[in-house]
This record gives sequence, C-alpha cells and structure tokens, in this order.
Amino acid sequence: MIQLIPHIINGLTLGLLFALIALGFTLIVGVMEVINLAHGAMFALGAYFAMTTIGGGWFAGTEFGTWWLSLPIGVRYAVGVVVGPLLAACAGMVLELCLRPTYGKAPLYGLLLTFGAGLVIEELIRHYWGTGEQSLTVPQSINGAFFMAGLIFSKYKFFAAAFAIVAIFGVWAFLEKTPYGAIIKAGAHDSEMVRALGYDLAKLRLLIFGFGAALAALAGIAMAPIWGLRPHLGIDVIIPAFLIIVIGGVGSFWGAVIAAVLVGLAVGITGAYAPAWSMLSMYLLLIAIVGFRSRGLMGRKSALEN
Amino acid sequence: MPNPKISRRNLLGSAAAAGGLATVFGPWKHNRVYAASSDKPIKIGITSDASGQYANSGASDRRGMLMAIEEANARGGVLGRKVEHVHIDTETTPATGSRVAERLITREECGFLIGAVSSGVANAISQVAQRYGVIYLNTNSSSPTESGENCHRVKFVWDGNGANFSKAAIKNSLDAYGGDVMLVTNDYVWGHDTAKATRSLVDQYGGSIVDEILVPQGTRDFSATLLKLQQAGPNVVAAAVGGDDQIALRQQVAQLGMGDKMAWINNQQDWPDVYGLPLDNLFGVFGTTWYYGLDLPGVKEFVQRYQEMYPDTGMRVPGNVFYNGYMATKNLLDAIERAGTTNNIAVIKELEGHVMTAEERMQHHDAVIDPNTHQVQQTIYLATANEAPKEDDDMFKILTQSDPEEVRDQNSIGACNLESYEDTPTFDA
Repeated sequence: MIQLIPHIINGLTLGLLFALIALGFTLIVGVMEVINLAHGAMFALGAYFAMTTIGGGWFAGTEFGTWWLSLPIGVRYAVGVVVGPLLAACAGMVLELCLRPTYGKAPLYGLLLTFGAGLVIEELIRHYWGTGEQSLTVPQSINGAFFMAGLIFSKYKFFAAAFAIVAIFGVWAFLEKTPYGAIIKAGAHDSEMVRALGYDLAKLRLLIFGFGAALAALAGIAMAPIWGLRPHLGIDVIIPAFLIIVIGGVGSFWGAVIAAVLVGLAVGITGAYAPAWSMLSMYLLLIAIVGFRSRGLMGRKSALEN
Repeated sequence: MPNPKISRRNLLGSAAAAGGLATVFGPWKHNRVYAASSDKPIKIGITSDASGQYANSGASDRRGMLMAIEEANARGGVLGRKVEHVHIDTETTPATGSRVAERLITREECGFLIGAVSSGVANAISQVAQRYGVIYLNTNSSSPTESGENCHRVKFVWDGNGANFSKAAIKNSLDAYGGDVMLVTNDYVWGHDTAKATRSLVDQYGGSIVDEILVPQGTRDFSATLLKLQQAGPNVVAAAVGGDDQIALRQQVAQLGMGDKMAWINNQQDWPDVYGLPLDNLFGVFGTTWYYGLDLPGVKEFVQRYQEMYPDTGMRVPGNVFYNGYMATKNLLDAIERAGTTNNIAVIKELEGHVMTAEERMQHHDAVIDPNTHQVQQTIYLATANEAPKEDDDMFKILTQSDPEEVRDQNSIGACNLESYEDTPTFDA
C-alpha cells in the first residue's frame, strides 16, 4: 500500500494537468457546440509563443532584445505565460471568424474546418519555428527534483499541478461569479434567449473561442517542459481532451475536472502495475462510465430521456 | 436434350475465357517492364514518415535521400536516366505503410522504395515490396527482426540494429556499474526485439534482469515508470524507447536529475530526437552509426554539402538518420549503375555482399551488405553527452568505436530466410 501512495500522488498531478488541457475544449463544445479539432494546435501554438517570448526571439539582435535577455528568467517566464495565451486567443478569434459561415449547418462543416485549421497551424509552426525539438525554459526555482519518502519527485510537475488548480478555480470563478460568465452560461443554455435579451451573440462566441484558445495555450505552456515541444505536439492532446469531456459529460465544467482526475489516476496507477495497459486504461474507463451512464458523469439529461 | 456438338465458335469462346481466367488466377509469375526506353526516369518511392511518432526523424531521413538523388542527377542521372521521386507520408503506422507501398508500386509505378524509421512500418512495407519484387531500402529502423525473421530478398537494412548497439554497450556497463539491469521497453516490435537482444547479452555477461517496464507508444508521462525504477533501484537501466516517447522520457529524467542516479543505456540515439535539447537531456551512454564530429576524411565536405542544400533547416548539421537515408539511396543508385540495368534481380545481386570502404562510408571500418541477412554490417559508435563542446552542435562525445565483426548480430543469421531469386518477381524499373 505504501508503495502505491507515490503513484496515487502522481496520478492526481497528472489528472490536474489533463483537466487544464480539457477546460478550453469543454468550454467551446459546451457553449458553441463546436468540436474544435484545432484545440491541440492552439495548445502547441501557445507554448511556441511563450517559448519565443521567454527566449527573446521576437526581438533578437536589437537593443531591447539584449535588455530583455538580461532580465531574470522568472520575469521573462511570467511575461511568457501571459503573452502566449493572449496571442493564441487572437488566433482563436480569427478561427471563430472563419467558422461563422458554418453556423446553422451540419456539424461536419465545423469539424472539417477546425481539423483543417489545426493542420494549417501545425504547418505554420513547422515553417516558422522549424521541425526540430525545442525546449521551453522554466525558472530554476521550479526546475529539478525534491525528495519525499525516499523517492525523487519533479518540482516542476507539482508546480504545474498547482498552476492547474489555480487556473481551474480562476475559470470557475469567472464563469460563476462574473456577469460575463453568466452570459456565457446562458448562451450555452439558450442562445436565442440571450440574443433576444439584447446581448451580441457574435461577440460572445468570439470571446468564448478566444478564451478557449487561451486556456489551450496555458495548458501547452504548462505541459511543454514535461512533454517537450514539437510542431505536432497538439496531436497528443486532442484524444485525451475529447475523452475527458465525454467521460465528464459534454459541457460540464466539474464533470471535466473529475473525469480528468480519474483519467490521471487510471493512467498513473496502471503505469506502475501494468504499464503496457496505461494508455489503454483511459479508453477502458470511458467504456466503463459511458456504458453505464451514456451522458457521462455530470452531463445534462437529454430531452429524449424525459 | 442439348446438342452436344462442339462448334468452332464455342471452342474459341471457351479458349478465350480460359485464357482470361488463367491470366488472372493462373500460377504464372508476372514479369513487368516499367521502362522500355532509356529516356524514362527512374522513379523512387519515398516511404518516410511525415507525421506520427517519427515525423521529425522521417523528415531528416527524406532530406538524406533527396541529397543523394540530387547529386546523382547533377552527375547526369543513372544509366543516363533522370532519377525522380514521389513521397507519401507513412504516418508512423504499419497499415498506412502497406497502403502507401501498394500505391507507390501500382499507381505511381515506382521501381524502388526507400525509407523507414519505425520497424513496424518497415516490416509492413517490405511485405508488399516482396510481393511485387520491388527493392526496398529500410534506411533507419533498428529492430533485429528486420534482418532476422522479417528479412526479405528485396529488403536491405541500412541502420545498425538493437543487437548491434546492445553488444557495444552492455558489457562495458555491467562491468562498470553492476549486474542488476532493468529494461524500459517501447511496446512495439523494435522495443521488444531490442529488449530480447539485451536480455540475451545480459545473461551472457553474467548480469540479471530485475524487471521490464513496457511503455506503450505515445506515452508522454513517464512519472510512473520513473517512480518504479526508483523503487526497484537497479544498477543499470537499458532503455529501448524511441522517437517522441524518448524525448519526453529524456526531458523528465533530466528534470528529476535521475540521469546520473543509475547507469542508463539508451540503445540508440537518433540525432533528430536530441538536436537542440539542453545537454542534461543527453544522459547515459547510447549507440549511433555516425556523427558529424568524426575526424575522418570526407566528413567536413559532407556537412558542407548538407548546409548548402538545406540552408534554412533548423538542424544545422546532419545526423545519423540523414546519413543513413543518404548512404542507402546513394548505394542503390551506384548499384544500378554497376549492374548496367534496372532489373531488380540484377540490382539485388549487386547489393548483396557489396563492400563499402571506410572512406566511402566516412566511418572507421569498411562496411559490407551481408548477403545472408541484407543488413549493412558497419562501425558502431558508443557515445555520451559532450561536456566540452567545440560549438553548439557538438553534442556527442564518442567513447568507443566497434569493428562490425565485434558487434555482429549472430541471431539474425539463423532467423533470416531470404526468398529465392526464383520466388521473387522480376521486372525492369
């Protein structure tokens, strides 16, 4: 049992990171009913933006660039964590503008468009940053290892998990405690009514897409030091994100968080005792949960079930 | 009662129908001729990955092939014919590899196929290639089975394999660090075959395998693996983890500072997987077939040609994957030239047993294409991170270089059973 504890801790931290990945995805699916297959590309794009900001690549060779690089890494990292998601949010909003002609049409149009956008973004990354592996530098204070019960743990992973907790509660507070969040939730529930009450639905959708992309970017920045950074990094994200929102119940915020933690625990614990099954464990979890409860853990009841 | 009389019309009709059926279903071997005239280009199908786990290495592999093709065309082509190429992404997926091979052969009419990093994909491609008799060069996949039980008359394997690299690394590590070995194995053909080779060598040198952790392809979080390694506390960790999985593993080992807590043997280290990473990601010892920093004739010029052809690539110097792609393609084109024909059997015979001088290979020893397994027997280098680099790209420190005979994979010889020439369809490409 004692040997199991480190693996449970590991599963929990992994789950929190999965939750961070799934948040933006569930927001867009829940509010706009668009499965954004470019979510993974936004994840990678945000990490690349942050990497270039931290490394001063935007203004290399200039006086400002020299000054920038003389700043402590902690400051540059903090700026990167803000700039990366902001730029990704802009890209997300451009994507939403492109999506507009597909609203009201068969879901396949939106699906194909976001799939294509994901490929385009990946190619743009390849073109601008190259095909090779890159690394996102993090401050020394959160890098390295620490010992607990005679075992080595990664400081950064715990930092990223804490970062994920802050982000989860930040998003929750935004949705639950601000008027903007109320409008977004109302838009998810009944968009026509929101429009009838005089809110600009087009602006709302733009905001949601930007917000979703920024969350994807934030997750990318958190994960890049663990997973590495390469143009096709986003592919690693889409399947777990999709799986988590289905397990949690499409559109459910806490459903996604709980599902992510369950997936993290499943992967972490099987990784220790039956490692060959660790990737498969998340699919088995999906089958087990959706088999008994087709709308996921906290999904809304369908009108057909009444 | 119908008239039993056989009319001439019926007889001719039946004969035509029987002929037609025989053409389709008959046991005859089809001998195809793609090129009747000398002005028709020689067409090469490139089967490298552009997506999936080995996308990055696939790009490097492809650049190597293209440089060899461009150099051949600059010399006036091969047998006076221009060399053309078609590339289709094999997606690091065996099923896609089969489809791509089928399409390149039947629709694109490619006479030769080149490229692979994943052994699963290489195996799938080679099965299709053998069916059509199309020569296939497995440039960069390293499973011992590729030149063992999955060998084929049409397939030639250019990279060192898991057994070669293990031989170069295991004994030294056991002597230096102790005999308890834990295996970390990518859960697919290359990982399993390499682990099998490592097991047998550990037994041979008196060590013991404590445990094996299987890592599914696509794993990004190695915390559970690393925790388990700490709990088991082996002297040596022999890792056969490739591509993006390996990058993630390296990154996480470096983060934990576990690189020097136990002795790591990373069976083979492909240059595209580590290029540009911080040096602490390059822990342990690992094998390679070539390094741009080798102080040998021709290396500097080779690097210069690469830089001239690919001025914009982020990878400023070529690595082992590029090198294998280049060498395989160049040697195929040379073999066609020597054979004086594009007939597949004639070219296969030219390649079998062909000796390449050390100078030509830019390695320390002569290399030979083993006629029994079709694997290139070549110098294997053991390397580690270079703590005193001469320049940013100078990431490896070469520790030893092994003669091909010292690290020969003996098991492949017994396991490989090449199809006969007669059972291999013939054609002129």
